[in-house]
Amino acid sequence: MINPTEVLQSFEGRMKDFIDGENFRKCIQCGICGGSCPFGFYTDFTPRRMITATRAELVNEIIESNAPWLCTSCNLCTSRCPSRIPITDALIPVLRELAMNYSHLPDELGQALTNIHRMGNSFGESNRKRAKWSEGLGFDVKILKKGEHVDYLFIVDDFGSFDLRAQEITRSVARLFKMLGIDFGILGERERSIGDHVRLAGEFGLFEEIARSNINEFRNYSFENIVTLDPHAYNSLKNEYRRYGFQSNVMHYTQILSERLQDLMKLMHPLNYTVTYHDPCYLGRKNGIYDEPRKIIESIPGIKFVEMYRNRENSYCCGGGGGGIWYDSYIRKFVKTRPAEERVIEAGKTGANVLLVSCPIDAIMFEDAVKVTGLEGRLRVMDISELILESIGKGV
Amino acid sequence: METRIGVYICHCGTNIAGKVNVDEVREYASHLKNVVVARNYMFMCSEPGQEMIIKDIKEYGLNRIVVAACTETLHGHTFREVAKKGGLNPYLVQMVSIREFDSWVTEDKVEATEKAKSLIRAGVYRVNYHTPVETTTYPVDSNVLIVGAGIAGITAALVLADAGKHVYLVERQGFIGGNMAKFDKTFPTLDCASCILTPKMSAVKNNPNITLFTYSEVEKIDGFVGNFDVTIRKKPRYVREDLCIGCLSCIENCVYKEPRFMSEFDEGIGKRKPVYVSFPQAIPLVPVIDPETCIQFRTGKCVQTCLKGCPTKAIDFSMKEEIVKVKVGAVIAATGFKVFDATRDTKYGFGRYPNIYTTIQMERMLNSAGPTGGEIRLQDGSIPKEVAIINCVGSRNENFNAYCSRVCCMIGLKHAHMLRDSIGANVTIFYTDIRANGKGYEEFYRKVMLEGVNFVRGEVASIIPSENNRLTIVFEDTLLSRVRKKDVDMVILNVGLEPHDDWEDVRKVLNLTCTKEGWLMEKHPKLAPVTSLSDGRFIAGAAQFPKDIPDTVAQAEAAAAEAMSLIDRGFVESEPNVIRIDEERCSGCRMCISVCPFSAITYNEEKNIAEVNTGLCKGCGACAAVCPSKAISQNNFTDEELYAEIMGVLRE
Repeated sequence: MINPTEVLQSFEGRMKDFIDGENFRKCIQCGICGGSCPFGFYTDFTPRRMITATRAELVNEIIESNAPWLCTSCNLCTSRCPSRIPITDALIPVLRELAMNYSHLPDELGQALTNIHRMGNSFGESNRKRAKWSEGLGFDVKILKKGEHVDYLFIVDDFGSFDLRAQEITRSVARLFKMLGIDFGILGERERSIGDHVRLAGEFGLFEEIARSNINEFRNYSFENIVTLDPHAYNSLKNEYRRYGFQSNVMHYTQILSERLQDLMKLMHPLNYTVTYHDPCYLGRKNGIYDEPRKIIESIPGIKFVEMYRNRENSYCCGGGGGGIWYDSYIRKFVKTRPAEERVIEAGKTGANVLLVSCPIDAIMFEDAVKVTGLEGRLRVMDISELILESIGKGV
Repeated sequence: METRIGVYICHCGTNIAGKVNVDEVREYASHLKNVVVARNYMFMCSEPGQEMIIKDIKEYGLNRIVVAACTETLHGHTFREVAKKGGLNPYLVQMVSIREFDSWVTEDKVEATEKAKSLIRAGVYRVNYHTPVETTTYPVDSNVLIVGAGIAGITAALVLADAGKHVYLVERQGFIGGNMAKFDKTFPTLDCASCILTPKMSAVKNNPNITLFTYSEVEKIDGFVGNFDVTIRKKPRYVREDLCIGCLSCIENCVYKEPRFMSEFDEGIGKRKPVYVSFPQAIPLVPVIDPETCIQFRTGKCVQTCLKGCPTKAIDFSMKEEIVKVKVGAVIAATGFKVFDATRDTKYGFGRYPNIYTTIQMERMLNSAGPTGGEIRLQDGSIPKEVAIINCVGSRNENFNAYCSRVCCMIGLKHAHMLRDSIGANVTIFYTDIRANGKGYEEFYRKVMLEGVNFVRGEVASIIPSENNRLTIVFEDTLLSRVRKKDVDMVILNVGLEPHDDWEDVRKVLNLTCTKEGWLMEKHPKLAPVTSLSDGRFIAGAAQFPKDIPDTVAQAEAAAAEAMSLIDRGFVESEPNVIRIDEERCSGCRMCISVCPFSAITYNEEKNIAEVNTGLCKGCGACAAVCPSKAISQNNFTDEELYAEIMGVLRE
């Protein structure tokens, strides 16, 4: 039995630890959060109602419900909140933390977190397989040794390292880097989870441990910038690791490609596609990178680019964030149409035959959703890097 | 002299010309009897349109003008000025409405054209009988009467006095400052109310252009705009203002050693003696003796220790009511408001259960010069830990007052902040909507939220006394959709604002109109918000409708400016449509006197006739209609004119 007063006090105490955390008191109960939420239809506690419940001293009811876990951390609510309440970064993770203290969490999430804690990745794989994706590329990807220097340290993170679909994206990005003559290297078996999903899942202790250990590891190498495959890793390194003393310049791979667009354009050949683009939550809404991916897409010759209704800061979510990708079956229990399914249907309506993404989780989620919604054969899900490669390859 | 009429038909863009065949109508009008010229034009009220008429007056020697356009109300004045510029008496013009009365309300174009013809025909027939009307002007007295010395009256008085006008400021209570003097702090800036009000109060007292009448009421206002005769009744305060030096030793020396009687100024939570001042910085600092509670008045046998202690012997039990008469040119009504009586909404248990207060009582409790010295205490002397503030008490409720009282949300937020600040209480505000629509108000709301004040949307259904002198509140949390309970130590009822109980009497004395609730009526809600429907009388502050201090002050300054505009013009023009009474025909029946709403007609006993004061006559025509001897005729509405018009409109 959870003591309502006790858990309310823990909640209020924890919220104070976050920048603007106490803004939850300024909630005007407008409900923009619930209306914006991809899971708003399926939960008893929208963020607004969570705050109402804190005011009625009913935090126990929230953490006993599924509500804390029905959040994809898409940040749409937070970006629109008129009281600037850090819903995604504080309210939800704090409630998840409290729920975990009382052992209320989806089983699969527990498994993923255990894997990260024990193995350094959510897949429970051996880290020796971290660089497996780089085999058979036709060139060697530099695996950094202690003290070695590169211009760009390429952080692949878990999905790009271990997921078969995401690995293809990692490979195409590496190929493009090679073609552009970019001096980059990876950590190979010394890479560990960056941990943004861990943080958003409410495992703040584990996240801090991961962050500190990664920062220590980075100190062994010399590099000018970090470039990430995954927008979630980008976000953590750029915004969260700072708190623990990390200072390097962080980029997402689309930013590098955008900078080197002149060189890329010399290599590309026309493609006859209509494409649309999904802004990943952690690249777009969270970090304001909307233009670089579009600039790249529009420079591919022959391509017709169409926008979905919901684009840029209003972009929808693939449903994989905040740990969602780890407990898909839990979400399926409560959610009729998953966000990814809704999103590919929306993409299909634009008349596009390619749905472009720039996040490995998007590719995984959407490809699955295309199969479920009967769009297979009509809508291809591709990473931007893959489309560029196809355009370059066509001329060969 | 030959009658020479010009007819001018306005297209009003497509407003008229879209329905009425203006060319056909012009052609028709040009053949009417005595019409010398008829023209149509896109916008007759524009500069070229006006010039056209002026030119025609000279060229054709016109001596009557008919303008077929919008309405007399909208542009009557414009075309009278045009006639004047052309050298004609302005009342030789007749306006015919072919827009409001015709093109806007007629579907069929042929019918609209025919109707325009008949209306113009009526105007032409009528204008034949018009005679020149001369108006007179009256000088305006530069003094101003201001009724009510709260922040609205004080502000208006200071603005006028600084401009060199003499102000008679009349306050019903013994001391000035009104409700604002009771407040502790003001939202959203949290300035102390006294710190911003008392300097203005003393400026009123020290300004030679202001004559202050406290403990006084306006008995009667005679006369008309620019020339009012005001009768003021000064109630005896039994302490002579000319002798009192404000040492307050009378209060100290009163035979009652302790204050025993309910203090009106403290809203029932403090006590006073029979001789009292509202608060130590009161203006005027001259105590009032309340005969209801003073032993001398009740028994005639008091030892009069007050008088013995008075160094200037200012106490005078024989003081009598005084009547003072003053002359003013303008009147400003700033009579304020009262708060809703919370006992009327019985579900809150106000007056029955302990530790339930109204917001105005809380102001007194929070005020360091108030009855508790600013200490927040429960009736058992302890400090409340849980406080509930209940909004919309008596407001937004069709059983009491349907309107929103506008200031209560912000007062509630202010009290919540102050209670957290001073005693660290947990405060919950129960609200229906939070309305924070002023400069800095929403920001203040957010600040109070961030401080940890709890907000529950949902009105309180009942308050029940529970154990340990606590109160159990039952309510539906409408945002959670659940009925909940909460135990608190203190409840503050956020009462709305209402007109004074005697608003009907006040309205009559000041000759103003009111809404059905009793709020003073403005001439136009947007374009004339401080002007009343009676000339020369202006309104300011919460007497017009609930408003906060910034809005009240803005309105008071506006009312002062309106009064000044009247005074500095220096004259008022008499009403042109006044009546004339034919002495020969008048039988002295006085029916006209009984129907005149402006008291403009008096009876001359000697001659046995009715006489009109054309300064007061507003030209309503009621007397002319009722007069059985046809002794009364009205300028611009003579029988000849009216019959001609009727003939014109009816004739094919």
